[in-house]
Amino acid sequence: MAEDKDFFICRCEEVTLREIEQVIDEGYDTLDDVKRITRAGMGLCQGRSCSKVIARIISQKTGKPIEEVLQVSYRFPVRTEKMKALEQGGGSDATDN
Amino acid sequence: MAGSYDVIVIGGGIIGLSCGYYLTKQGKRVAVIEAGGFADGASGACDDMILFQSKKPGINLELAFESLELYKSLVGELDDSLGFANYGGMVLIQNQQELEVMEEFVTQQQSYGLDVKILDRKEMLRKQPFLSDRFIASTYSPMDSQAYPFAVMHKLSGKGRKLGMQVIHKSPVTGIEKDGNGDYRVSTGQNLTYTAPVVVNATGAWAGKVAALAGAYVPMEPRRGQIIITEKVPAVGETNLWTAKYLVSKLKSGFEIDSTEEEKRLGLGFAFTRTEGDSYLIGSTRESVGYDKRTTMEGIRAIINQAVSIVPVLKDVNFIRAIAGLRPATPDGKMILGEHAGMKGFYTAAGHEGDGISLAPITGKLLADMVCGTTDARLGELSPNRFAKDAKEVS
Repeated sequence: MAEDKDFFICRCEEVTLREIEQVIDEGYDTLDDVKRITRAGMGLCQGRSCSKVIARIISQKTGKPIEEVLQVSYRFPVRTEKMKALEQGGGSDATDN
Repeated sequence: MAGSYDVIVIGGGIIGLSCGYYLTKQGKRVAVIEAGGFADGASGACDDMILFQSKKPGINLELAFESLELYKSLVGELDDSLGFANYGGMVLIQNQQELEVMEEFVTQQQSYGLDVKILDRKEMLRKQPFLSDRFIASTYSPMDSQAYPFAVMHKLSGKGRKLGMQVIHKSPVTGIEKDGNGDYRVSTGQNLTYTAPVVVNATGAWAGKVAALAGAYVPMEPRRGQIIITEKVPAVGETNLWTAKYLVSKLKSGFEIDSTEEEKRLGLGFAFTRTEGDSYLIGSTRESVGYDKRTTMEGIRAIINQAVSIVPVLKDVNFIRAIAGLRPATPDGKMILGEHAGMKGFYTAAGHEGDGISLAPITGKLLADMVCGTTDARLGELSPNRFAKDAKEVS
C-alpha cells in the first residue's frame, strides 16, 4: 500500500508532506528554500509550528544534521500584530526583540 | 576544475535564472552560479508587480509590453500558473498639481499603446470603496499585472535543469580571470573553478562588485526596499494601488512635494498589491544604506502609517512579516544589458531596480539573443558602455 503523504505539514498554507518531499528531491535542502518554494511556514504562524517538522524531514532525507538545518534568522514582528499597534509611533512587546 | 560550459551566469535571482533558461533553450550549456540559496537576494524580497503605469514612455515601457507577452507564454512553457494575474492598477492622486502631471504622463503612455485613463473621484471610489477621502482622482490601467516571483524562479530553474542547465547554490564568486585560451575562469568560495567563453553578470545590487573582479565597470547602487505582508484578508477594492506622490517626484525633477524629513530619508512610496496567497504586500521604502538589508522599526512604522492613512480599514488587519531587499539602481534609471567593450564575452544584465519582476523574461530573452549573435538596435541605450566615460574618471 502506498504511504499516505497527502496530509498537511504546514496548516496555515496547506502544504502536504508529499509537496515538501518533492521539493527536497529536486535538490533544495534548506528551510528557506523549502519555504520559498512551497509556502510552508509563510502563513499566519510564520512557521512557528511547522518549521521544526520540516527541518527534521530535510535532515532525514538529506543526511544533514538537524542543527544545521534549523539555523534560521527571525525578524520582527516576532508574532503577528495589528497595524494599529504600530500606527503613529506606537510600539508593543510583539515588536521589541 | 569544476566544469566547463558555454556560458556561466553569475547570480541565481530572477534575472540570472531567466538568462540561464533562455540561453539553455537556445542550446547553450549553462551554469548558473548563486552566492546564496534559492531566492536569497532581492528577487525573494520584493513585490510581485508587472507594472506598466510607473514606466516612463520609452524603452522601459516598450520592454514591459514584450515581457508581459513572454510571461503569458511562460505559463504554458513552464506548465505552471506562475501566480500570473491581472488585477489592474490605480495610481491615487491627491491634489490639482499631481493631477496635472499625471494627465500629461497618461497621455504620453497612451501614445505608446498603454491602456490607461484618468478616473474621477466617483469612478475611483466605485473600484476602491475603502479609500480615505483625501484623493481627488486616480489613474486606472487594466493592464497592470503580477506574477509570483518564487514560482517563476522555481519553474525557470526546474525547466532549465530538465534541459541541462546547472544551478549551483552557496557559491559566492571570488575571482574572474582569462585563461590562455581566452576563456573566463570563474572561481568560487569553495575553491572551485568554472570556465566558459561567455560570462553573464546578473548579480543585481552586487553587479558593480562582480564586474570589478573581471576588471569591468558597472555603476550600481543598492537601494533598500522594505515591505510588509498582511494576513489573508478578503479583497480590499478591485485593483492594486500606488500613489502619484512618489511617481510625480520622479517624473518632474524639482517638483515640490510635501514630505517629511523621515519620508524623504526613507524614500517612502505607497504600493499595495494583492498576492497569490490572498494577503497584501504593502510597501515600500527606497533607502541608501549600503548593503544592509535588515528591516527596521522606523521603516515598518512609516509604511504602516502611510498605509493606514490611505486605506483606513487596514488598521485592524494583522501584518505577519516584514521583508527587505536591495534593489539595484543605475545612475539613469535604466537597466544595464549588453557586452562590455574590450571584454569579448563578458556581459552584464542587471540594474532593474523596482522592475526586476516585470522585466525578467524579456531581459533573459534579449540577453540570450545577444549571446547567440542576434543584435537588436534598440539595446544600444542599455549597453554597459554608456558609462565608460565615468569609469575613466573613477580609475
